[in-house]
Amino acid sequence: MTASVAVRPAVVDPRAPRFGAAITAVVLLVDVFLGVAGATVAAAVLLAAVTALFAWGAFAGIRRHPYGALFRRFVRPRLAPPAELEDAAPPTFAQLVGFLVTGIGLVLTILGVPLAAPIAAGIAFVAAFLNAAFGFCLGCELYLLLVRARLIRPR
Amino acid sequence: MVGIAALVVAALVLAATALGLLKRATTGRARRVRGPVVRAHEVGAASLGSRATLLQLSTPMCTQCPPTARLLGATAAERAGVVHLEVDVSERIALADRFQILQTPTTLLLDAEGRVRGRIGGRPRPDSLERELDLLLESPA
Repeated sequence: MTASVAVRPAVVDPRAPRFGAAITAVVLLVDVFLGVAGATVAAAVLLAAVTALFAWGAFAGIRRHPYGALFRRFVRPRLAPPAELEDAAPPTFAQLVGFLVTGIGLVLTILGVPLAAPIAAGIAFVAAFLNAAFGFCLGCELYLLLVRARLIRPR
Repeated sequence: MVGIAALVVAALVLAATALGLLKRATTGRARRVRGPVVRAHEVGAASLGSRATLLQLSTPMCTQCPPTARLLGATAAERAGVVHLEVDVSERIALADRFQILQTPTTLLLDAEGRVRGRIGGRPRPDSLERELDLLLESPA
């Protein structure tokens, strides 16, 4: 006997968000390098680009993310069909978490806080790397903690 | 500065890898615990399993919850008197607070009385789950 949480229809090939996370992780690592190496403007611009991409994923949904389109166009045709499909809501929520982390970093950078860009990029890198390399969704795990802290209301 | 930046980048990759390996090593394994008794109404169920209950605590933002539900459902179906219940803890925050749930899915193994006897964080490893569940079924007290 199984009593289930309501099924949501929007699904995604779980390898698509992981593919996107791999690109994001590399870009964020480059951003950390630039920021620490003193290329402050380049680091800020790159962080702005990553923030915009997170916003895209968070507000348009993970299934409309440009990395997802890259995955469908170039990667998926070379792979076997996915073993199981995943609900699109968790990775979309994780994009929102990424957007908040990099967005705060970007605002602090614009306000002149030193090393804000590489620190925000570093935090976001860890999450993106864990997703890409291990399949862990750190942003998703945060959902329950934020609900428990009464910072967000469950939908 | 470039040297320091390269060091920072390398340290970050190493730290993230260590974190991932640690998480992978600890996730999905059943831990034997002796916790409080869970009543059926607390989890929105009419009754618990007569011999054991696999109580899965989930949220809607959880990639590993649906495959965990399939595994637990199948494991329960193979054993008489064992029931799988899935609860959205974001709708029952008191439950999440009471059991200090930090990650989903978290699976609580309840005995016939509803007492928490085991706990699995993350997607359960089938061998660990079955071993712990069968042990619980053999030693009901």
